[in-house]
Amino acid sequence: MAVCAAIVGKENSPKFFCCVNPDEELNFQYKVLSSLDIIEEKLNPTNKPGTEIKELYLGMLYSLETCKIYGYVTNTKIKFIIVVDSSNLQLRDNEIRSMFSKIHSEYADMVSNPFYTPGEPITSKLFASSIKNIITGTV
Amino acid sequence: MYKMNGKLADDQSEPKGPVTDRRPIVTCCGELEVFSAIEDNLTQALPKDACEWKRSLGRPIRNVHIGATFVPFSSLALPKPGQWDLIRKPVFHIYWTDCTDVDLYKNNVREDIETWIKELNSRDISDWLIVVVENYDGKRTKQLIPRTTVLDKIRVDFALKQGDRCISVINPGKSENKTADSWRGLVSRIRHLLLVAYARALSRLEDHVRQQREKRNELGWDFMKYFVLQEELAQVLEMLGLNDEALVQYDELDALFSQFVVNFTSCDNLKWLYQFQKPLERWHGLKLAPTLLPSNPSILELRAYLFSKQAQMLLLTNRIWEMASRCLPFLHTCVKELNILEITAPPGAVWCWLFLGSMEVLQICDKFNQADQVEEYSKHTASLWEYASQKIRSLGELCALMPNAIPSSEQLHIVVGLSAGMGDSPGPLNHPSPTDKLKEALCSQDAFTKTYLELAELAMGTYKHVGRLRMARLVGQELASFYLLLSETQKAAAFLGDALRTFENDGWQDLAAQIQISLAECHKKAKDTVKYVKACAYVCAAAEVDTLIRWGYFDEMNKFLLKLEKPLDVPFNDIIKINSVHITSDLVVMQGAKIEVEFIIESNFPKEVVCTFVGVSLENEDDKKNNEKHQTGKMLTKKDLKWQDPFLQRLKIKKTLDYKQNKQLDTSGIASKFTLQRKDSSSPNTQANLDLCLEVENLPTSLTPGVNVLKLSKTATVIGKYCIGVAALYINKLHLVSQQLIPRLTIEVREESPSIRLYKRAGPLLLGIEQVMNLILTIGSYLIEPKSKIKLTASSGLTFQVEANEALANSIEIEVGEKPTFSSTKVSLRVFADLHSKDHQVTIQVPWTTKPILVPLTFSPPMSTTWRLFTISHRKFVQVNVVGQCENSLIVESPQLKIKDIPVHSNNCDSSLIIYNGSSNSFIWELTEVGLTNCVKVEFSIQYKLNQGDDYKTYQFFFDITELKTLYILDAVVEPAKGSEFCRVGIVCNLHLSISYVGPTEDTDLDTRSIMYEVLAEQSVWAVCGRTAGVVCFTGEEGSVQQVILDVMPLTSGFLPLPLVRISKYIPAETSLPDKPSKGDTHPRLEPFSSGQVYNRSKGKQLHIIAGTSDNNPQ
Repeated sequence: MAVCAAIVGKENSPKFFCCVNPDEELNFQYKVLSSLDIIEEKLNPTNKPGTEIKELYLGMLYSLETCKIYGYVTNTKIKFIIVVDSSNLQLRDNEIRSMFSKIHSEYADMVSNPFYTPGEPITSKLFASSIKNIITGTV
Repeated sequence: MYKMNGKLADDQSEPKGPVTDRRPIVTCCGELEVFSAIEDNLTQALPKDACEWKRSLGRPIRNVHIGATFVPFSSLALPKPGQWDLIRKPVFHIYWTDCTDVDLYKNNVREDIETWIKELNSRDISDWLIVVVENYDGKRTKQLIPRTTVLDKIRVDFALKQGDRCISVINPGKSENKTADSWRGLVSRIRHLLLVAYARALSRLEDHVRQQREKRNELGWDFMKYFVLQEELAQVLEMLGLNDEALVQYDELDALFSQFVVNFTSCDNLKWLYQFQKPLERWHGLKLAPTLLPSNPSILELRAYLFSKQAQMLLLTNRIWEMASRCLPFLHTCVKELNILEITAPPGAVWCWLFLGSMEVLQICDKFNQADQVEEYSKHTASLWEYASQKIRSLGELCALMPNAIPSSEQLHIVVGLSAGMGDSPGPLNHPSPTDKLKEALCSQDAFTKTYLELAELAMGTYKHVGRLRMARLVGQELASFYLLLSETQKAAAFLGDALRTFENDGWQDLAAQIQISLAECHKKAKDTVKYVKACAYVCAAAEVDTLIRWGYFDEMNKFLLKLEKPLDVPFNDIIKINSVHITSDLVVMQGAKIEVEFIIESNFPKEVVCTFVGVSLENEDDKKNNEKHQTGKMLTKKDLKWQDPFLQRLKIKKTLDYKQNKQLDTSGIASKFTLQRKDSSSPNTQANLDLCLEVENLPTSLTPGVNVLKLSKTATVIGKYCIGVAALYINKLHLVSQQLIPRLTIEVREESPSIRLYKRAGPLLLGIEQVMNLILTIGSYLIEPKSKIKLTASSGLTFQVEANEALANSIEIEVGEKPTFSSTKVSLRVFADLHSKDHQVTIQVPWTTKPILVPLTFSPPMSTTWRLFTISHRKFVQVNVVGQCENSLIVESPQLKIKDIPVHSNNCDSSLIIYNGSSNSFIWELTEVGLTNCVKVEFSIQYKLNQGDDYKTYQFFFDITELKTLYILDAVVEPAKGSEFCRVGIVCNLHLSISYVGPTEDTDLDTRSIMYEVLAEQSVWAVCGRTAGVVCFTGEEGSVQQVILDVMPLTSGFLPLPLVRISKYIPAETSLPDKPSKGDTHPRLEPFSSGQVYNRSKGKQLHIIAGTSDNNPQ
């Protein structure tokens, strides 16, 4: 369903990247990187004084001719980003949300793994395949 | 729509541009001349004030402005009952009359009105008004009788229950101030009634629109027809000034159309969409000014029209930012829809349209340049600028307008075609429209370059302005690639450098590596060998890059490295990673020893590299700033070297309490000293001082890709504290230098100075015997000049020598000689001290320090001597006791005791004796003739030698004997008490004490005249009953005796020593002698006699005590 999912750390460095088509990874990296600007804008509390962000789902960050980019931020400022092909018209907001919450729970499991050092890039193959399953909708 | 206007002969019918007039139509009947006089006033006055519009379905009450179009009454134009498009029909009807005469009314007007009302009623029309226009002539005041005016009559005749349907107005043409009130009444009445009527018609239209929309899935339904219908609703709302609600209508249309297109492929009954499936012929811009929808529009025209309507509504509601924000999604939607509907277009045509669209919106935004508006829309315009720049670049690539491109004739044809399809929409002078701009840009490479660069720079600038730095960098990257085509490498490198920094800050290594590749190409093009080599080094060490590419750059690096003129310093960064630094030698190193460090590094070069030098600098710690972190221990791991976020460090918080002067608490708080340290983004100081460094010994050494262990070492020469500074690896002229290794690892180099020590061997040093001592010279961490001398000087009476055959001397010099560092030499020193003094000192002067070393030496005599004087009545004996002190046995011979004037008689054997260490030997002499001397000097001497073959040396011992003469003889006898025969246990006996003075008569020493006796009986043996002590006085006559009897009681049986009696000199408390200064002796004193003065005759006597007779019945 989605074409790419990324996990970006608190300091904005990529921790995990997963593309349905690996050849496009670099291309998507640029897009995900620039979406961080918008996430930062949305998380910046000075923009809307008094409103605390309780909703983790940030909605669509921005769209391009070819794709749409959605964001989600955990309470610890770990960013999840999903890129959806804009020709994909079936995907509803609710499905994106559920994708994010699935990724979030996978990530929480991942971080709980004692062999994973928080803050390091995630290299687990199992994790990669779970995320791929989530974004391709095979779960 | 506006054919209605045309049909009705109306003064308002001339079209006001392309805007459709949606004002409600009002018919006029009756005396039209009356109306025409006030028509203009009425047309203007109606929309001037707002009127409350109440609506059904719980929609909010809105204030609206309503205008009207007046037409003459015509029964043909009246709507039929049930008609939905009432909105296009006359909705309100007014009958005008200026008849004020009741009779005239009755005769003519009444009938006319009746006909009119009938006509209306027949069509179920109830929205009408009858206006009586009166001329102000003062008559009104006279008409006191009610219901006599024409108005009253009309009301009675036609509107008995609807009084508000009739109104009179004083002709406003005459006296303005007096008629104002009645005029206002008329206008508001018409406004109100008209709105009620119009609202009814509008709700009919709404219902109709709803019905039509419900039918959208039916066969034969046509969107375009529906579009016109709903647009009418929007136009009505717009006319009423409800721009936001009008926008909702357009948005609904937009959403509906989008949904249809989305469903196009999956639904069968959307045949009407086929009309859009025709190849694009025109790609005019959005035409955001009010326009008309062309008949039979293309999808782009429909979309553009809809967007321009939405944009208008947004602008009218002052939402410029929203218009800007909607533009990009709108353009995206259009592109998507073109694809879905498979609409073909000439190459580049869509790009032109998209470019024009975004540029038009941007141009409108430019007109609103208030700071807050700019702030609001900049976020959205930034991406529009970028989009426009992308589109024009695509066009440039298509039409060979990129730098250095040569257009083919085919490409020139494309340009012509595209320009033609854009149509003409010239802007005002000096303000070219987007179309003008695009046409110009497509004409020449220069114009294109200028336009592209302008747009891209604007995009980048706007992104930066709104704080979207990453997006700005990506635009910068695009710009760089363009500048690279223009061969403006410097500009390109600047943009790439910015992007690189941003990507690296965020830790996006993959992207940073791509930038490095671009940078490498940029530098190569600029023929900047230094930078090219640098970039090559980074690219080939980037794990993110494909291996083949890395190899390529690696070879390039090596190739260009040879062309370098001077060494090139490159920071380690990701090329070489330090995994750990470990000092394998001690942290404190002696001068001359080796400092050893083990480095574990990871080389990211794709192939093996040969290092011509590998070193780690050592820096003097004194030069360092104090605030640097230091590592305790010998090891730095990857974790230590990692930059730590100061935000994540534990804060050290202290409490602070401030007191007032009266010691009361003033304020309390907590304080934390927290200095923010930025991650050092500037390139590290690569100018490392490698003068002093640890090096790898076997050079050249090769580094394999991956982990390498390097052992570095250096001999410590200069003492001091050092810390490990930077690591450096030289690959020919490529000098890779690490950052300062913080926290600091410190090494201390110390020196050890030479030392000299004088040790005695086991056993004490003895006087008068030559002994051997050890002189130990230890050379420290540095060498001593071999010819320099050590001088030993002894105090007088002490001599020594090192040479076996030389004579002993008071002062000697020893040459240091060729001695390696850290060596120790033992020199045997023969020492001889004469017997005169025991304490000696050796002063050692050494060449390495001016301060002499003082060694105190204490010698002891070979034997120790004690003496005692024994007295038997008047006879005197001297005993000398000799104890061997020498380790070895001493052979002694001929002891002698010499006393001046007193002959002695020896009682000792003459043979030699051997005195062992610690054993004692006694010699005794009797002083045969004591004479008168009370005080004598005695000299004891004895011959001794250590070994059989040695010569005898004389040992002498001098002492004085004082108070030689016997003064008192003491005798004590214990006798049984009277009546008893024996002394028994538990029976009191008498102790007869007799003290006789035997001293010289002439001796007038008063001190010795008074003596005190004390019985010091052992308490378990004797109990002294009664007195134990007493004082007796002597006259000083020789032979005078004093007797004392004391009671004592034996406590045990057997042979018991007598109770010991001691006598002492008794000095009374008061000395009345005037010549002696009073010492304040208020108490009597006792002074002991010396051993020669008293002879105790009873010493050693024993008494047999018989066990008590009455053991079984004690008294």
